[in-house]
Amino acid sequence: MGAAGLDTYVHRDSVIHRWSPRLKLISLVVLMFAFATVRQLALVPWMLGLAASLYGLSGLPVVFLRQRLSYPGLFILALVVLLPLTVGDTVLGEWGWLTLRQEGLVATLLIVGRFLSILTLGFILLGTTPFLTLLHAMRSLGLPTILADMTLLSYRYLFEIAAMLTTMQQAMGLRGFGHKRQRWLHINRQTMEQLAMLAGNLLIRSYEQSDRVYRAMRLRGYGYGARSAVGQRATAQPNTLSWGLTGVVLAAAVALVIAEGILRQGWMCQAWMCQ
Amino acid sequence: MHIPDGILSAQVCAAGYAVTGLATWYSLRQINRQPNPTAAVPKASLLTAAFFVASSIYIPVPPASVHLILNGLLGVVLGYFAFPAILIGLFFQALVIGHGGITTLGVNAAMMGIPALLAYHIFQRRNSLGKFLGEPTRTGLFAFLGGALGLGVAALIFLALIILNIPAQLDGEAERAAVLTLSIAHIPLAMVEGVFTTMLVLFLRRVKPEILEG
Repeated sequence: MGAAGLDTYVHRDSVIHRWSPRLKLISLVVLMFAFATVRQLALVPWMLGLAASLYGLSGLPVVFLRQRLSYPGLFILALVVLLPLTVGDTVLGEWGWLTLRQEGLVATLLIVGRFLSILTLGFILLGTTPFLTLLHAMRSLGLPTILADMTLLSYRYLFEIAAMLTTMQQAMGLRGFGHKRQRWLHINRQTMEQLAMLAGNLLIRSYEQSDRVYRAMRLRGYGYGARSAVGQRATAQPNTLSWGLTGVVLAAAVALVIAEGILRQGWMCQAWMCQ
Repeated sequence: MHIPDGILSAQVCAAGYAVTGLATWYSLRQINRQPNPTAAVPKASLLTAAFFVASSIYIPVPPASVHLILNGLLGVVLGYFAFPAILIGLFFQALVIGHGGITTLGVNAAMMGIPALLAYHIFQRRNSLGKFLGEPTRTGLFAFLGGALGLGVAALIFLALIILNIPAQLDGEAERAAVLTLSIAHIPLAMVEGVFTTMLVLFLRRVKPEILEG
């Protein structure tokens, strides 16, 4: 599941690690949305620079980001290949049947710039904050009790159930599943039935385990006035560093949105005058 | 079938969060109306984790394989818990493997969660609309409809969002043609999802029918 190293770097010491979780969550999410508003190519280097600076401040290794970029990168890769060749009228160059178009290239650079910047902020948040602390911060910001409890319990059993699936798949493999050659572009009914039973067994085992978990939770008082399994942890008051970082990041977010507005207005005026 | 960060505008992302907020509020209101809502939380949580894990199962179609979404099945099994379950599952995917995104979490949750609620309502109608059918045909047919429509509707929303939001310079006719072509291409996938949901629901009906009663 690619999650083995999820909490590997959360106990390091950096200014981002020491940033109050609640303020960090609010500031980084606001900055992500500010990045999502960017439509002007001139702002992409600023956006990437901001994300890279915060990543540098976090002290996280580059390998942490690189590992996690590979999966979503496939979808973006398809866009990077398709858009510059299919979208727009301004031809930048032609090589046989391949035509590189300016509008498509600009759209691609914008998408890739926003994608890399937002994703980097997401991994800064995850890489510097333990999951439980993040959940406490979300709970203190008004996350409903049922959602908080479900998130906590799902996270608690996620890796256990994933290990259960691996064991079941290994057992199936040892009994000969998947060794038979199949025809191309043909779905084998028996194979599908066996996989449905595999998924069904996983659900049944989880369902039975949930009953035991619920009984254990009831014995510990869950549902008798204890409002949530996550609870409200008393958080330390944010220090000057936290407020300072929050101020800088929120100011950067506002500056980006204002710059985007000014640049867009200038671009629209130019287009109008050309007409 | 997750929209990554950076593709959609901030307005669309905000609208996605608004729709997700509304759907979550509605689902939680329905859950809180149940006699003992906290009793269902551990069951829904562990099944959420199980669905998240089960979605990593691939159906082999040589030379490639088909990845299942299982949002229709989630609706069939979890009912109103399906929407929070999908929201949590997508949150994990965005955090753990970077699949989807934080800004697009609202859009992705609405895209997969609303069809899941639709699948739940379709499956619940099996005893009224399908009363002329015998068992297990009735359960199988409505499970198929739930599974296939769950994926089908989600795929339509996904394609419309992608095609209408990416290439601003693509003309309207080309956009319509692309949506139509890609929608037709998703029909076999919806069929596979529907058949898989049917097989799984019939298996659960035989072995652990109480899972389907929730």
